[in-house]
Amino acid sequence: MLWIKNVRMVDPSQGISAIGDLLVKDGRIAKTGERFSEEDVLAVLGVKKINQVDQVEGQGKYLFPGLIDVHVHLREPGQEDKEDIQSGTRAAVRGGFTSILAMANTKPVVDTRAMVEFVRHQAQRAGKARVYPVAAVTKGFLGQELVEMVDLKDGGAVAFSDDGKGIQSAETMRLSLEYAKLTGCPIISHCEDNNLAGQGVMRKGEASARLGLKGIPASAESVMVARDVLIAGETGGKVHIAHVSTKESVWILRAAKKLGIDVSAEVNPHHLLFTDEDVKLTNASYKVNPPLAGREDQEALLEGLLDGTIDMLATDHAPHTWEEKTRPFAETPFGINALETVLAAVWQELVLKGKMNIEKVVQLWSVNPACRFGLEGGTLRAGTPADLVLFDPAWREIITAESLESKAQNTPFLGKELQGFPIMTWVGGKIVMNRDHN
Amino acid sequence: MQWMHKDLLDIDNLTAQEIEHILQTAVPMKEVLARPIKKLPTLRGKSIALMFYESSTRTRTSFETAAKILGADITNFSVAQSSVSKGESLLDTAKTLQAMNIDLVVIRHTSSGAPEFLAEWLTAGVINGGDGQHAHPTQALLDYFTIKDHLGGFKGKKILIIGDVLHSRVARSNALGLKKLGAEVTFIGPPTLLSPEMKYLGVKISYDLDKELPGADAVMALRLQLERQQSGLVPSIREYNRLYGLTRERIEKTGKPTIVMHPGPMNRGVEIASDLADSVQSVIEEQVTNGVAVRMALIYLMIGGGTANVVD
Repeated sequence: MLWIKNVRMVDPSQGISAIGDLLVKDGRIAKTGERFSEEDVLAVLGVKKINQVDQVEGQGKYLFPGLIDVHVHLREPGQEDKEDIQSGTRAAVRGGFTSILAMANTKPVVDTRAMVEFVRHQAQRAGKARVYPVAAVTKGFLGQELVEMVDLKDGGAVAFSDDGKGIQSAETMRLSLEYAKLTGCPIISHCEDNNLAGQGVMRKGEASARLGLKGIPASAESVMVARDVLIAGETGGKVHIAHVSTKESVWILRAAKKLGIDVSAEVNPHHLLFTDEDVKLTNASYKVNPPLAGREDQEALLEGLLDGTIDMLATDHAPHTWEEKTRPFAETPFGINALETVLAAVWQELVLKGKMNIEKVVQLWSVNPACRFGLEGGTLRAGTPADLVLFDPAWREIITAESLESKAQNTPFLGKELQGFPIMTWVGGKIVMNRDHN
Repeated sequence: MQWMHKDLLDIDNLTAQEIEHILQTAVPMKEVLARPIKKLPTLRGKSIALMFYESSTRTRTSFETAAKILGADITNFSVAQSSVSKGESLLDTAKTLQAMNIDLVVIRHTSSGAPEFLAEWLTAGVINGGDGQHAHPTQALLDYFTIKDHLGGFKGKKILIIGDVLHSRVARSNALGLKKLGAEVTFIGPPTLLSPEMKYLGVKISYDLDKELPGADAVMALRLQLERQQSGLVPSIREYNRLYGLTRERIEKTGKPTIVMHPGPMNRGVEIASDLADSVQSVIEEQVTNGVAVRMALIYLMIGGGTANVVD
């Protein structure tokens, strides 16, 4: 039993953005509305005494449906030195994410039902965020034979992706979009042409020329976005474009949506927060794939999010060990550790600066992902699971290696102070994170 | 002038005045080099480690010679025989050097930024002996010395840098300083080896060598790695040579006693004709001599006390 009072509830699924109260009973949202009296609460929750109800004062704070991140690398099994399902889901709820999609590029890759079930089982044991496995598209990520998509879906997979690697064969992509129709699940495409990307380590441009680092041209992404939306249009398949980073990709997606192609897309907040000008030779926490792009790309991505061309935000949380990242730039792996810092960064850099309102953030990070991937959540509607985030816009924290639940610390925010953090997170009505208890 | 830098990682950290200061310091160093007994006690008791992660004959021996003349002790850290081949990270190697109280480290590495990385972790000074496609500041300094020696200065001088600019740390570092010193720099090469973003350096970009030659005071040919043909960047060495190969006939188009430079090692008959390389206009061997003098000057400034008052 839970009574969250006097809080600004933001629920774009019902067009709500107002101060009020929310009641939780048996793990589900019982009722939302304007101020409830004690009698209302006792009646709705069916209890005799008010001390049987946990009460949370929400004045000055926001209450969102739990955020849903469709792009997370949990690294288990096989690379538990970077992250495991327990540490990754602890990081998720600390960052305000109650549901996450776990990518399949583990060792071994998640390409069998047993593996999907293992991931779900580990997540249940951890008991923090809900984890929905993304299974591979091709066996062993080899880009050749398709996985047993139907069996994998029955085991709990909600999407298919060889994320981490682009599917180079157009025919393999075409077949996967056709066969995945048996499951209703989207193919998540990691759009990267290996020939064009070559040995590049950052976006090709003036910044890469200045740093003497090998560049990845923007076309390495956008030609694949064009290919995949065309194939999706032709086959009637369902495709989701991961980590869109170029303005050309945004143009293509806008055209594809006009044509009615079944495509959705995500942007990683780091592409809205940083550009290639921020890349430093001695700080590989800015090294990410797709690489940080230019100012014009950044503007196009934001415009795409605001006009509905791009459907969601997603972290692409990619933890790596300190040893792996503390090397000369070109020798380090791609990836940014994001789950625990990203909401604060978005709050501080986008919401407070007036680039995007908080309702839009919740739409992009909770409502739309739930809808596209067919997940529970993404709403404060009565009767749905009580996956909730209480967000304090004034909470400030300095990001340190010690404070992170993630095993990794490869974030550009390390040592910096951020403002605006989730302070309590509930999954299925159960409190899984409380910052006051730190 | 007091020398203020712990490290020399790239030319962009230096002011024009500081570059001129190094060049001036190198003048008496070059005189020392010409003596029958080439030895100074200046850096006796100082230790310098040479860490070459990438093959090099010219740069490594140049540093070694420079340091030995100044009386420093040299540790040659040969990658093939060291713990690096056992998987030691650059960070741990750096910490090991730190523990040995080395005064100065010269590093060459295939990864851009490796010298910066090392400099962040070491209290000892670091000199970049060439990193990836990023920077080669001592090569640039020796080229400035050579240019100044022959042309008297830099203001308004027209300097052409020709060839594989895309992969060239020499071109990049050279242009950075030449612009600061007031020269006009043009990069010339085929579009596949010369990307338009190099304009950030404030240089002119051209694909046509013959058009740029008139009025050139110095031309610098870059080495064309023969693998570039296999990777499709140039269709053939023959066509490359036809478009960008320096020959005696071509160099006459400058209408001046132009100097011909090359950072070495040369592909004779590819980017430069043999007879031109051996001609009186060629300063390629002088570049090598000047390299020792400039590196002596630099090492001296960095760990020898920091004034230009050379001990004779």
